[in-house]
Amino acid sequence: MFVLSIIKDTIAILPTNFGVPPEQALIAEINKKYANRVLHDVGLCICVFDLVEAGEGKVRYGDGCLWYKVRFRMVVCRPFASEVILAKVKSSDEDGIRLSVGFFDDIYVPLAYLPQPSAFDPNERAHFWLPDSEATTPHELLESATADRMYIDQGEVVRARVEADEFYDDEPGPPKAAEGVAVKREARRAPYSIICSIAEQGLGPVPWWKSAQPADDAMDQE
Amino acid sequence: MEVVNARSALLSNFEVLNLLRELDADHIARTKTAIRVKKEEGAAGKNLHDTHTEEISENLRTVELEAIQYLSADYQPTLHQSDKSITQLVRGLQPFGLSKSEKLQIVNLAPTEPVELYVIVEELEDRLGNQMEDLLAVVTKSLHDRAPQPRHETITVPERKNTRSEIALEVYEEVEQETWEYDANQMEFDDTGEGAGVEGDLDVDDD
Repeated sequence: MFVLSIIKDTIAILPTNFGVPPEQALIAEINKKYANRVLHDVGLCICVFDLVEAGEGKVRYGDGCLWYKVRFRMVVCRPFASEVILAKVKSSDEDGIRLSVGFFDDIYVPLAYLPQPSAFDPNERAHFWLPDSEATTPHELLESATADRMYIDQGEVVRARVEADEFYDDEPGPPKAAEGVAVKREARRAPYSIICSIAEQGLGPVPWWKSAQPADDAMDQE
Repeated sequence: MEVVNARSALLSNFEVLNLLRELDADHIARTKTAIRVKKEEGAAGKNLHDTHTEEISENLRTVELEAIQYLSADYQPTLHQSDKSITQLVRGLQPFGLSKSEKLQIVNLAPTEPVELYVIVEELEDRLGNQMEDLLAVVTKSLHDRAPQPRHETITVPERKNTRSEIALEVYEEVEQETWEYDANQMEFDDTGEGAGVEGDLDVDDD
């Protein structure tokens, strides 16, 4: 799930931090700038791994900060395609399931990637899977016996395979002069989202595939 | 700002957990010395200079703690791993001819059952067939060697830091909160036997 990225940047150290050893101050400044933020086409930055090289601090005309040209390695979270991860179900709705790994929440499982056949139960607000079912339409599935349904509840730990990830750069464009002050607020899209699948055998809630108990149904054992 | 290499190396969950724990311990140590220095300076009537306090980035602390929480969860095998066990595991996986990403996933997920292995390795039957059991045995063996983890440190921190980050205070006020919360947390973990808790108690008793 985690990768190392090498990044080059120019970092300013404020005069208040001149008493601190420069590596420490640089790492702190870099963390301040990058930690917990999404870098486009790179991933979610977690923290600095180490400094590869840093030039001498130079003073620029206009402010008293020491500017360092730094090259450093950063721990980034970016699951690669077809990687299997463990995540918790954060919420479910008609369009699919949303998973979370604690520090990152925008992991979605759209309807197409749910094990078939499955349907959404609006009373439970959860999706369920009906293994070995002949039913095809949601209507038929909802008529099935509740005991047969394998629910995917909130807070359950699931194994999911990453299918794709999307970066969305929402730079606000230049203000349109004709509009005046009226600002059109479009729906905010997440800068980084991951699409996962839990459709195959072995994926989905972890307890479904535990063959430790002898009382499991035949389909749960591989 | 330039991204030289977006993916120069892959890291295992275990390595990241260790790195974050180190960072965390670092922060705690630094705040402890900051509290002590402030108290000494306050007692001596000296002017409280801000020369060495660095603001700790909220973002960094948040992502650090949440990532530590996720990686040390019960359902993750990361807590049961150690440097030695992972080297042993990777060496044990050598003869099976797995790709780098498959090996990394096996280290991260530690599959102990065939069905788990099935989702990680493509074309499992064609490539491994009867060697599946051997592979699972290698994985299970590496999980048994569990190195002693400094768990109590990471447990105290989330409780303390969560209250701290919820309230947006300046450093001084946070420090006051710190000394108060510190006591309560130390009380809870009597069974650790490590020196860290006792030291903290002695500090506060000086009042």
